[in-house]
Amino acid sequence: MKKFLILSDKTLRLIQSIAFASGVFAFVLCILISVNYFQLKRADPLNSPAMKSLVERMNTNPDDQQVKLEIRELDLLSRKAFFTNRWQIKTGGYLLVFNVLILIICLKSIELLKAKLPEIPGSKMDDFWDKRKINQVWVAYAGISLVSVSLVFAFLTHNQLGPELKRAGLAGQNIGSNQQTKLPGNVPSAADTTLKNISGKGANDSAQSASTNLTEGYPTQQEINSNFPSFRGPGGNGIAYQKNIPTSWDGKSGKNIKWKTAVPLPGYNSPVFWSDRIFLTGANETKREVFCFDALSGKILWKTAVEKIPGSPAQVPKVNRETGFSAPTVATDGRRVYAVFANGDLVALDWNGNKVWAKNLGLPKNHYGHSSSLIMYQDMVIVQYDQSGDASVMALKGKTGNLLWKTSRDVKISWSSPILVNTGKRQELMLVAEPFVISYNPSTGKELWRIDCISGEVGPSLAYSDGIVFSVNEYSKLAAIQVGDTPKQLWENNDFMSDIPSPVATKQYLFLPTSYGTMVCYDAKSGTKFWEKDFGSPTYASPILADGKVFIMDKKGTMHIFKPDKTYSVLGQPQLGEGSVCTPAFAEGRIFIRGDKNLYCIGK
Amino acid sequence: MKKALAILLLIILFGFQSMHTFGIQRFPKPEFESGYTQPQTLMPSPRAEILAYMDVAVLLLALSFISWLVLKKRSRNGVFWTSVFSLAYFGFYREGCVCSIGSIQNVTLAMFDGSYAIPLSVIAFFLIPLVFTLFFGRTFCAGICPFGAMQDLVSFSPQKLGSRLNAILGLIPYLYLGLAMLYAATGTDFIICRYDPFVGIFRMNASFGMYVFAGTLLVSGIFIARPYCRFLCPYGVILNWFSRFSRRHITITPANCIQCRLCENSCPYDAIDIPVTEKNPDSRQMRVRKLIIISILVPFLTVAAGWTGSKLSEPLAGVNSKMKLAKQVLNPVIDPNTPETFEITAFKSAGKSSGQVYEEATLVLHRFYTGSWILGGFIGLVFSLLIAGRMLKKYNPDYVPNKGNCFSCVRCVDYCPVEKS
Repeated sequence: MKKFLILSDKTLRLIQSIAFASGVFAFVLCILISVNYFQLKRADPLNSPAMKSLVERMNTNPDDQQVKLEIRELDLLSRKAFFTNRWQIKTGGYLLVFNVLILIICLKSIELLKAKLPEIPGSKMDDFWDKRKINQVWVAYAGISLVSVSLVFAFLTHNQLGPELKRAGLAGQNIGSNQQTKLPGNVPSAADTTLKNISGKGANDSAQSASTNLTEGYPTQQEINSNFPSFRGPGGNGIAYQKNIPTSWDGKSGKNIKWKTAVPLPGYNSPVFWSDRIFLTGANETKREVFCFDALSGKILWKTAVEKIPGSPAQVPKVNRETGFSAPTVATDGRRVYAVFANGDLVALDWNGNKVWAKNLGLPKNHYGHSSSLIMYQDMVIVQYDQSGDASVMALKGKTGNLLWKTSRDVKISWSSPILVNTGKRQELMLVAEPFVISYNPSTGKELWRIDCISGEVGPSLAYSDGIVFSVNEYSKLAAIQVGDTPKQLWENNDFMSDIPSPVATKQYLFLPTSYGTMVCYDAKSGTKFWEKDFGSPTYASPILADGKVFIMDKKGTMHIFKPDKTYSVLGQPQLGEGSVCTPAFAEGRIFIRGDKNLYCIGK
Repeated sequence: MKKALAILLLIILFGFQSMHTFGIQRFPKPEFESGYTQPQTLMPSPRAEILAYMDVAVLLLALSFISWLVLKKRSRNGVFWTSVFSLAYFGFYREGCVCSIGSIQNVTLAMFDGSYAIPLSVIAFFLIPLVFTLFFGRTFCAGICPFGAMQDLVSFSPQKLGSRLNAILGLIPYLYLGLAMLYAATGTDFIICRYDPFVGIFRMNASFGMYVFAGTLLVSGIFIARPYCRFLCPYGVILNWFSRFSRRHITITPANCIQCRLCENSCPYDAIDIPVTEKNPDSRQMRVRKLIIISILVPFLTVAAGWTGSKLSEPLAGVNSKMKLAKQVLNPVIDPNTPETFEITAFKSAGKSSGQVYEEATLVLHRFYTGSWILGGFIGLVFSLLIAGRMLKKYNPDYVPNKGNCFSCVRCVDYCPVEKS
């Protein structure tokens, strides 16, 4: 039986006092350590306002020794404070452990000293069988609750990742079995081979250097953004990321015109730019060609005839005069260039213009002529093929042309092009055709969401910014749609509409061009119209937002440059000297414009 | 004199250990301007093999000693001071690693991943307490496990929780064990170590959140005795199973129970079974019917819970690093203003293709699918067996420790007035 110690009240009181003191001290230490911890967490000594202001002062006056000295002193002070804080937490931690130890010893002693004799519990013992039954029921309740919560959670979070990975993995398996794929990061950056870096070299030299630098895989987003790889730029969203773009030139006098080269065959497709090259296509009833221009000199580096394609129809496609036989713009991933024509011929050419693969997608049932441009996603080339009765979107492997996925679309024929955007949550491929705007997973082709919001023969492509996608078509409406698994139309307007050019959006504003030459600016969130401007000439080209300005070319060849703002503020209206219906491409400090007959390079 | 020499020798040995530790701390971890923060290390500094075996020897000796104290000496004081030693050695000196609780994960990983070489000392830390439990009950929990020792020290005013709460909270360790084994088997993470509340105290390097968690457990441990051991510890589940079959388990009375009821409320862990002499009030027909229902329900509930578990495979797999990378590769960020994640940067420099990443992630997902079926089935089986077990016949005429739940802390022994005959 337990031995119970009896000690004097004085000893007990002493131990109780020590316990109380150490308890209070431990509590205070806990508070102090917590406060110190949060101070340390908040502290960012190298980015303090005082340091920032000193650094700014040094940047404006780099030779100011006094500022440098002050920065060093402040830096040392901040670091000292930071590390003292850390030391305080660590030392406080040890003190706390020591203190808690004393507290425990005291409390254990009190427990021992004040031990009571055991008492016999109440006379009636709980009924064992009743208790057991109740426990059984509670365990069953717990089990049912667990299963219910698990099922709800499972169905809320189940996102079919497995099938998505499998479909996306098709590309990976092909890569894995065919070659050791280099990663995006191993690919030479476009920034390393910008125009100025290759200045002085001949076209052949640059062609050689570019081709030897190419590796497999697909480009990084940084590389894509430093080029202009498809219709309306990276992601096809009408935004270019280059700077120092000229705002004045004159085609007639040659001011700021670096070069101009005649394009051998007609076409309404727009130029794309990658590293040191410009790509275009041209076609007539009998010939289809892809052209590669040296971005520096304008010299045609190669032109490749697209002919003898297996399955290519002998029948000449019916096209509208304003669409032509080569309306779709090419796309490139910096390894190959991909082109599609009105008869359904799809071709991939290497950097030297050699055919890598080609196939015919079937003569499109399209009364104006096929005009949807291509777009790249990772190592896939994506084709929007909205023909009568058999609309689809498909992804082919860039290297081999193998079909990776194909998704049928229950929409009418369309002439718009796909856009590729990151919604913050995921990458989405968005397409528009009567009656839907539909978003797909670009890796798998799986539909993510759709919204019924458009009608008619849709020509303009979508514009996206800050979670809102904008669709528009003549005789239909302009609609702003909040994207997501359950998309919602935020606002609509039918005062101004477009049947050819596409809009472009910033976080605050939407700029809508109409084919009859009026530019309208709306509040992107509410649809409030800020201004409208009649350019006095029809506009078929789409606007591009670049270098903090909006560039839009009218049919007569005047580039309208204005500030993306709630008031119309013109920054320039330079003339090309010939008409143009194509959207320009942008490089660092340069613009490439396809006129009716010539390709122009404009630069300071 | 000999004793003093032995102590001196031990101090010198430990001194060598400290030098090793200081050597590592001379070079602090680098700080990155990119904002990358060093992940919390789950294990302390590597230890010489011979010293790892010394830990095993200490474990063996300590377990033998405490088993002798529990079963032969029946000494609460002895158990208390052994637990103080264990807290000092396995806790603060060995920084809580290797610990038997975490070793579940190493053993599981070794079973599912042929390339993982499990150290012998880890196997020893996993098996030795189980073997002792099979013979002597949970003497490991009594005073060798530093986690238990720490909570036992602060258990000043333990209150009874009530059988319902005990029954429900007692289910959590099964879930934790299942999840820990799933994540270890798939090579995802050692969650027992990651969310271990006490190692941060032993090493003085826990995150603020873990300090709060540990503090909460210790403060609540003043009123709810050993909350981690009873309602979280996954190793406790296995020890519980083994202890039920223990050959020699501590008894409350050293001779015949006189039913004085003095010990009835002595156990702070509610681990004393009161005498049951009354028969089950259910009729025989009712009991047979219940057993038939249960025998059908057990496999049904197991499969149903397995199916439910399989539905959770994707969210469960979401924390796997390969899955995280595959998701990022699948949905890359194209906004130039959003910085590239560290995972993507590492992926680019690792020389892998996206196809390989998808392939690996698919394999992980497949493993999680199978693992989640097993996890769900295991939980379903545990629940249904717990329900079924409560229908079984029960007869014990005396106050006895519940062999599964008893931590062999020897508290109840002090309350028994019966002397050994």
